[in-house]
Amino acid sequence: MSNAATNEPTEVSDLDLFAPDIVADPFPTLDRLRELSPAVHLSRYDFWVLTRYDDVRAAARDWQTFSSAEGVALTPEFNERLAGSILSADPPEHEQLRAVLREKLAPRGLSAVREQIRSYADRLVDGLVERRTFDGVADLAAVYPINVVADLVGLPLEGREKLHPGADAIFAAFGPFGSYAQEHLDALISYQVWMEAMTDRAKIAPGGWGETILDAVDDGRLNRLSAVKAMSAYMTAGMDTTVNAVSAMLRLFAERPDVWAELKDEPTLAGPIFEEILRLESPVQGFWRVTRRDAEVDGVAIPAGRRVMLHWAAANRDPRHYPRPTEFELRRNPVDHLAFGYGIHGCAGQGLARLEAAELLASLLERVDRFELAGDVERRGNPIVRSLRSIPLRVVPTGARP
Amino acid sequence: MNVVVDRARCEGHARCELTAPAVYELDDEGVVSVRHGDLPPELESAATAGARACPMAALRVTS
Repeated sequence: MSNAATNEPTEVSDLDLFAPDIVADPFPTLDRLRELSPAVHLSRYDFWVLTRYDDVRAAARDWQTFSSAEGVALTPEFNERLAGSILSADPPEHEQLRAVLREKLAPRGLSAVREQIRSYADRLVDGLVERRTFDGVADLAAVYPINVVADLVGLPLEGREKLHPGADAIFAAFGPFGSYAQEHLDALISYQVWMEAMTDRAKIAPGGWGETILDAVDDGRLNRLSAVKAMSAYMTAGMDTTVNAVSAMLRLFAERPDVWAELKDEPTLAGPIFEEILRLESPVQGFWRVTRRDAEVDGVAIPAGRRVMLHWAAANRDPRHYPRPTEFELRRNPVDHLAFGYGIHGCAGQGLARLEAAELLASLLERVDRFELAGDVERRGNPIVRSLRSIPLRVVPTGARP
Repeated sequence: MNVVVDRARCEGHARCELTAPAVYELDDEGVVSVRHGDLPPELESAATAGARACPMAALRVTS
């Protein structure tokens, strides 16, 4: 944080950032909050929200002031459930937890599974292209990352239907216990019960991440409860995030055939397109921290012991940092976006997300000439993950007669 | 100018190398290394861009 005097007045708003109409289109509200003040106190749920790029990035980096140890969700009830998980830890515990899967998740470790991921993408896309029309969410975006991550963890096929609804419910539970979280509570519970049962050598495939986590229990680096939490954390983090990033990309290709055509001509744009869609959509809208000491954000004082939301999605559309922030720009390549968070808690699986996107795009580029919308796109109302329920798609296969 | 690397924080995401391959490379252990002890002036802006791309905040360019 800067050393400027803390002389900005505190802006207070009773706005409900998680009301269904705002969740449906949060950006006008986020723009207003961003212009109002560097930090606004949202009185309804008693937290502060940071929305400007430089502030969010600086706060994410400053874990000593903006701590995760008291949980990164809004409510005390859910933070209690997160206790002991990697999300809710500061160094040195955080480093110890993160080290368990570090080698497997690093791009170098992931190169061992690239072919496996590509061959799964090819099989999936072959089947869909043959059908010509399918749902971009239900048949592709919500299937592909979930099976990729479940295979990497070593989970059995039976029971996987609990995974995506469970992860969606868990992300919702990071926010207030509103109607969406309440309606999806059963999915959350059945997912957690299943993941706990799967934290067992007899249930998981050898050689996967699940086994690596259980090895860490055997040699004393993790306790049993932390192992269950680690299994759930890595599995959860790998689902609704990538599901919605892939969904947003498919929608983009259907609505902007010019983008798909340029990508066909220039396949090296795949990486920059993925980063730009992450910037623009920011599937995980934000997470919370708690101030460990009196903090100062761009002249606004936040006392110690207060909950502060780092709003990734708002930061990623800050015009101070990204010119024309609401536009999708094919060649922007925003390598410093905050959709994966930033700093010590930055998404551990971002290499996997990029690998999944790259392999899926490579597979689609070989097989699809054109995407078209075949119906209305529908959103889900998840307050924390900006998500799509349905994208009816029609594809024109490569080499098909017009 | 030079680059200060927090090797313990590096997870090998390789965003620096992708952004500024003239400055950064991943070593045999998959950890970042900087190609120049003292940065030549023509690489200073690339070094800064590569450091900004580090998702772990493991790189710092100092003057």
